[in-house]
Amino acid sequence: MIILPAHAQSATDVNNVRLEQTPEGMYLSATMRFELPGAVEEALLKGIPMTFLAEAQVLRDRWYWYDKNVAWATRSVRLSFQPLTRRWRISVNAGNGELNTGTSLAQSFDQLPEALAAVRRLSRWKIAEGSEIDQDARHSVDFRFRLDTSQLPRPMQIGITGNADWNISVQRNLRPEAR
Amino acid sequence: MKAQQNSMINAPTGEEARQSAKRSRNLRWGVIIGAVAMLAAASVLVFLLALATNNQNRFEQYYERLLYLNIGVGVVFVLVIGWAVWRLVSRLRRGKFGSRLLLKLAAIFALVGFVPGVLIYTVSYQFVSRSIESWFNVKVEGALDAGLNLGRSTMESLSSSLAGKTQAAAQQLGETALIGPLTLERLREQLDAADVVLWSAQGQVIASAGASRFVLSPERPNSTQLRQARGARVISQIEGLDEAAEKAGEKAANPTVVRIKALAMVSTSMGQLGIGSLGSDARFLQVTQAVPSGLLANALAVQEADKEYQQRALAREGLRSMYLATLTLSLFLTMFGAVLLAAVLGNQLVRPLLVLADGVAQVAAGDLRPKFALQTRDELGGLTRSFAQMTQQLSDARTQLQSSLGELDASRSNLQTILDNLTAAVIVLDSEGRIVQANPGATRVLHAPLAAHIGQTLQGIASLQDFGTNVDAQFREFFGERNTHVDHWQHSFELGGQTGLQSFAGNDTTTSIIARGAALPDGLRLLVLDDITEVVSAQRSRAWGEVARRLAHEIKNPLTPIQLSAERLEMKLLAKLTAPDDALLKRSVKTIVDQVDAMKRLVNEFRDYARLPSADLKPLDINTLVQDVLSLYAPENAIVPITSTLDAACLPILGDAQQLRQVIHNLLQNAQDASLTASNGLLAEHSDRSPHVEIITRFNPSSSRVRLIIRDAGTGFAPHVLQRAFEPYVTTKSRGTGLGLAVVKKIADEHNARIELSNVMSSLLETSESNSQGVTQNVGDSIPQIIGAQVSLSFPVV
Repeated sequence: MIILPAHAQSATDVNNVRLEQTPEGMYLSATMRFELPGAVEEALLKGIPMTFLAEAQVLRDRWYWYDKNVAWATRSVRLSFQPLTRRWRISVNAGNGELNTGTSLAQSFDQLPEALAAVRRLSRWKIAEGSEIDQDARHSVDFRFRLDTSQLPRPMQIGITGNADWNISVQRNLRPEAR
Repeated sequence: MKAQQNSMINAPTGEEARQSAKRSRNLRWGVIIGAVAMLAAASVLVFLLALATNNQNRFEQYYERLLYLNIGVGVVFVLVIGWAVWRLVSRLRRGKFGSRLLLKLAAIFALVGFVPGVLIYTVSYQFVSRSIESWFNVKVEGALDAGLNLGRSTMESLSSSLAGKTQAAAQQLGETALIGPLTLERLREQLDAADVVLWSAQGQVIASAGASRFVLSPERPNSTQLRQARGARVISQIEGLDEAAEKAGEKAANPTVVRIKALAMVSTSMGQLGIGSLGSDARFLQVTQAVPSGLLANALAVQEADKEYQQRALAREGLRSMYLATLTLSLFLTMFGAVLLAAVLGNQLVRPLLVLADGVAQVAAGDLRPKFALQTRDELGGLTRSFAQMTQQLSDARTQLQSSLGELDASRSNLQTILDNLTAAVIVLDSEGRIVQANPGATRVLHAPLAAHIGQTLQGIASLQDFGTNVDAQFREFFGERNTHVDHWQHSFELGGQTGLQSFAGNDTTTSIIARGAALPDGLRLLVLDDITEVVSAQRSRAWGEVARRLAHEIKNPLTPIQLSAERLEMKLLAKLTAPDDALLKRSVKTIVDQVDAMKRLVNEFRDYARLPSADLKPLDINTLVQDVLSLYAPENAIVPITSTLDAACLPILGDAQQLRQVIHNLLQNAQDASLTASNGLLAEHSDRSPHVEIITRFNPSSSRVRLIIRDAGTGFAPHVLQRAFEPYVTTKSRGTGLGLAVVKKIADEHNARIELSNVMSSLLETSESNSQGVTQNVGDSIPQIIGAQVSLSFPVV
């Protein structure tokens, strides 16, 4: 397992990364470590949903050319607060490159930490099909996790552009574990 | 001619000007079209930007892109304006004509666009910031919050009420031994529930009533719920609200049913016996009730509104800056557009004025070339056209003036040439008698340098005092009788010497003049003088010839009888008288005869002069002729010795031998007389001179002329005689008739010979033969003495 030096731009980090390569496909498990900034939490409490976007790009090493892009997976987690029931709700939307194409799973929580734990945790996320992966070749994975501000209302985007409070982002280049 | 040249020179420059005008017109159109296109693009962009600020609009996502596009257009505008301003300022620096006017116009237009723009901007800025602030206030927020709380508490109260009822029902069921579907159905109706299910502890349906009866495996409560229900005896939960909220947010067509589920443990009473009375076997009653749709919809609406409100409140700053950025950008684009249009339109407006002013400056500097006229239909264009026309007329007039001036100059110079070469004197006097103008002829005629006396009166010139006075008197008289039809006066004057005293041999230096006066415009007087001295001289000689002929005729007739009578008296009386009387008679008769002879000779000379026969010209050798004549003057019978120097190279000349012989005779006679007079005069200074006469012939090959010179050793000619020596009866001899030289002159004229008369000066003896006016010669310190006179005749050869 290879972990490249962390991006020092924020306190966001990735822990417990596990990248499995099996004949059925490639699976990623990880736990993100970040604290929800006050402004974000405030916005959440005011009913504005936040979308966390995890992207994984699977690259096959090629010594003669730039690495080939073999697979592309995204997983967006929408976290929202229902003032009427005072419950937290996350809906997970996983797809291959395109958002909102995959199946959506919703889950409700009574407390924010519970919901956040669900957001932070990635458990055996299938980022590539077995057919897409050449078992003999070496692969690397570019993994990104960030708060997707482009899903926010437009005026808010203008207000938060360049605001460090809203910057939750982490990027890793991963290698699958040797079997 | 000149005009044509001018136009030929102007033609290419006019063409060039037209070309450059065309170019600049194209450029201007390009600029205008570009500016308009840019303005149009900017307007569209600004409009789109304004649309994009609306939250729900589909342009919203392009807002940022539009913003940057607009900023880009704004930058282009700034660059264009900067370029224009720089150009204007540099023109102003260079002092280019009209740039000040252009600057002023552009500034005015820009101000006109700028001030309202700033005003509107300020008002709009205030308005936008205030109105955005006014959207948000505590009351609205509080109301929304309260609405939300109300909805929530209503839901909760519904839930707790259902929980209570369910618990009561569960208790009731616990007391019932047999629980069948009928019981549950009754319970469902009693509770007004949608569904009633009795679960076993293992999660199996014991009995059910309502909708779930038709479901094979209704959704069973999970273990957590069962545990909670076991602990708290009853739990209640609202299900489907989150999905409903999300669907409501997405405005789905069929809202999901929101239910309240209550789960209560059915406690079995101790005394009951039955199938399910096993102690470990707890049973759970689940009651599901639908939330009333009106309540649900209101609650969801409040939640949605609250969400929107909170969103906007959060995005307040962003929204405000978005609106203001749009507003500011619109202002800038509008203003830049206005300034740009101002520059272009100002240029358009100012151009005819510039053309006009430029033309005026050129005309003021004297440049009358064709001017460029604008073809626009407004008054300014008309003004430039009129100006161009005016300039053309001015130019034509000037060309015409120049050509006529040239003609005038030419004719004046013609006139001047004629005047200068006129032998007559032409003098222009002003009304006071002062000389305004005089031609060279005047100097010749009046023997006074009139050109040096311009501005003075004629009386003011010393030698012309009397003449001037006379002329003045004549003019006064003439102007006095102007009313009659006399347009000029004419009068003859004598100049120099004493008027009216004309002597034959006199020192007569008089010049005869005919003066004619006329009036010129502007009070000027024209005085024309003719020197008629020579005419008078010719007339005089002709008159004398006539007199001589008649006189000779009258005198000659009695002479022969007188001579014969005297000789007869002598013959008859000579022997009859006494010796003294005889001698007296002889002497007297001799005197008479001599005197008669002399008189005859005189008369003959007169006659000869008066009717000299015309020459019979034949080729002859001058040397032979001279020798022939000289034989008569042989030394034995000559009073004065004659030496001859004859040039053997002399070619024959055309001449009348008889007449030439007489010429030589006359000249030799004169020379002898002069030499004799000089030696007999016994003047002390002349005593050393022996009287002698020289006769010389000489051939000049270059001019093909034969020259005959007769030189004496006499006293020479007095100056006044030299002037008129060839006139008849002018003589230096006491007894001469004065006809000798006149005859010589006459014969020489007949032979086309030039005759010159001069004094021989002591120092110039050898070289003075061509010098006619020896008197005026001055050679150094030794004053030349007259040692004789010479006459030279030059004949053309055959």
